[in-house]
Amino acid sequence: MPRYQLDLTLRRAEGALTRVIGTAERRGFRPLSVDGEAREDGDRWHLRLSVEGERPAEFLTTQLEKLYDCLAVEATPCP
Amino acid sequence: MNAAQWLVRALEAEGVDTLFGYPGGAIMPFYDALYGSALKHILVRHEQGAAFAANGYARATGRVGVCVATSGPGATNLVTGIADAMFDSVPLVAITGQVPTTLMGTDAFQEVDVFGLTLPLVKHSFLVRSVDELPQAVGEAFRLARSGRPGPVLIDLPKNVQTADATHLAAHVAAATDAVPQPQAQALRAALELLSKARRPLAYAGGGVALGDAVAEFRTFVEATEIPAVLTLRGIGALPATHPLNLGMLGMHGTQAANLAVQECDVLVVIGARFDDRATGKLSEFAPHAKVIHLDFDAAEIGKLRVTEVGVRGDLRGSLDVLATVRPDCANWRERCQGNKQRLAFRYDAPGSSVYAPALLKRLSQRAPAAIVSCDVGQHQMWVAQHWQFNDPRKHLTSGSLGAMGFGLPAAMGAQLAMPAAQVICVSGDGSFMMNVQELATLVRYRLPVKIVLLDNQRLGMVRQWQELFFAGRYSETDLSDNPDFAALARAFGVEAMFVDCAADVNDALDRLLACDGPALLHVAIDAMANVWPLVPPNRNNAQMLLDPQTLEMEDADAALPT
Repeated sequence: MPRYQLDLTLRRAEGALTRVIGTAERRGFRPLSVDGEAREDGDRWHLRLSVEGERPAEFLTTQLEKLYDCLAVEATPCP
Repeated sequence: MNAAQWLVRALEAEGVDTLFGYPGGAIMPFYDALYGSALKHILVRHEQGAAFAANGYARATGRVGVCVATSGPGATNLVTGIADAMFDSVPLVAITGQVPTTLMGTDAFQEVDVFGLTLPLVKHSFLVRSVDELPQAVGEAFRLARSGRPGPVLIDLPKNVQTADATHLAAHVAAATDAVPQPQAQALRAALELLSKARRPLAYAGGGVALGDAVAEFRTFVEATEIPAVLTLRGIGALPATHPLNLGMLGMHGTQAANLAVQECDVLVVIGARFDDRATGKLSEFAPHAKVIHLDFDAAEIGKLRVTEVGVRGDLRGSLDVLATVRPDCANWRERCQGNKQRLAFRYDAPGSSVYAPALLKRLSQRAPAAIVSCDVGQHQMWVAQHWQFNDPRKHLTSGSLGAMGFGLPAAMGAQLAMPAAQVICVSGDGSFMMNVQELATLVRYRLPVKIVLLDNQRLGMVRQWQELFFAGRYSETDLSDNPDFAALARAFGVEAMFVDCAADVNDALDRLLACDGPALLHVAIDAMANVWPLVPPNRNNAQMLLDPQTLEMEDADAALPT
């Protein structure tokens, strides 16, 4: 099954992490690993989320881009 | 001034004139602030009614609808209406009371994590933990609700935040709506080139046409290019029902002409639609010969379910203006589509003396051509979509994506409050009507002259139809023959009511209903075994429609007549 690494910049707001992981799962992508940290004076999250799923990465990234708390997202296929 | 009082003023500054709700413990400071304010609060009889009424208000006007509830059960009762707004892209702001921040996370009385509960059902949400967060939350809530692809935003407001001192907060200024991005010129050039070469082009328009304020541009596009059009459930009205290029609704209960055109077209211009499964039937066989041009505001919809040759993201009006300049050579195709429309049109001459719902709805449509029509969910919803002669998408209020029974009556209330001079008709079924029947009390309290047509087959009709067709006639839990006497029930609330069960009496009954000054209900007994036709069965393509056996018999009989 194809795997992708998602690099996300998020507002450090209540619910932001749940929204991202929930969106990935609901749209058919299974999280494989999650890690991240607060950055830029603590008002941003940088989140690295690797997922697997049958659907193309754009299926997920276009949905993530619509989240208010998601400021940037980039998907890279995993080898 | 406390935060609740500040919020009431902020709502006024946002242009809110009406809000729908139900008070309770954790929202009491807000209700106290409402007391004596200029805002018109509509006290419903169940919070789901508030969410659907705000939803109907927003659908009819395009303005943001506002609903309010307390924490716990009040908030959970809003959820279905919030979900409906999400999946039909309706601008809504839902305000919920929450237990004080000191009690949050302790399983306090009426504490529910409505913020967490609604995460997948909202465009965004704010849990306001401090009074200083309130101005940004309110401004962003209204901006987000109405910008771009509209949707619901939740503001969860703990009780101690509502009572906090807000004298230091600046007065709220209405949030601006985001500008709509213009479509990319390169994509439009590609669309023009593809469309100019089409010989069997078809427009497939959805709810995005009205959401994008692009009805006029869509009509100009269709008329200038003379391309036939099919409409989704939420696209109905984008082109007048009687327009010669309107082939009707496509999909599971679409017209034969629309579904055949989709299956035969060579270029499909998708405008503010999203390949919903009820529209496409078996997706892999949908429009099998077509190259797709997809115009949409939402980039996530382009290529989501169907490979798109040309995707154009951005303002539909700008895209349609450009595409209206093309003149595809498609006269033969157009004539074929229009011939199908004429040859395969719905028939209304059902034999027998009982009431034939499609004929009743068509007659009512002719008697009330300017009405706003809300409906519930089920067979009657499809009959409204098929047989009402809509000429404006904002006059068709229907729970399209969520398919929420109980939507019709409160949505009609919301529309009537938004547009007091309009004629508002709610078409419901006996199953759906009972889901929010308590709102009859709200109709009476506010003297809202909504007219209700209750099509009663004493069954959960659409489910029963599927049981008949696909579950070997095993009618599991769809018998509602112990319904109350709906006319007596309505009268008990103070709503004028009448009953009809005979086709010959329908015209008179409709005239009497429409002549009532206040709210009124017409209880219509229809055949328990009546079905909605055509029907595309599950896992079939749209050309594989099941047709009305009775109509087929009548057509055979017509063909046998001497000419």
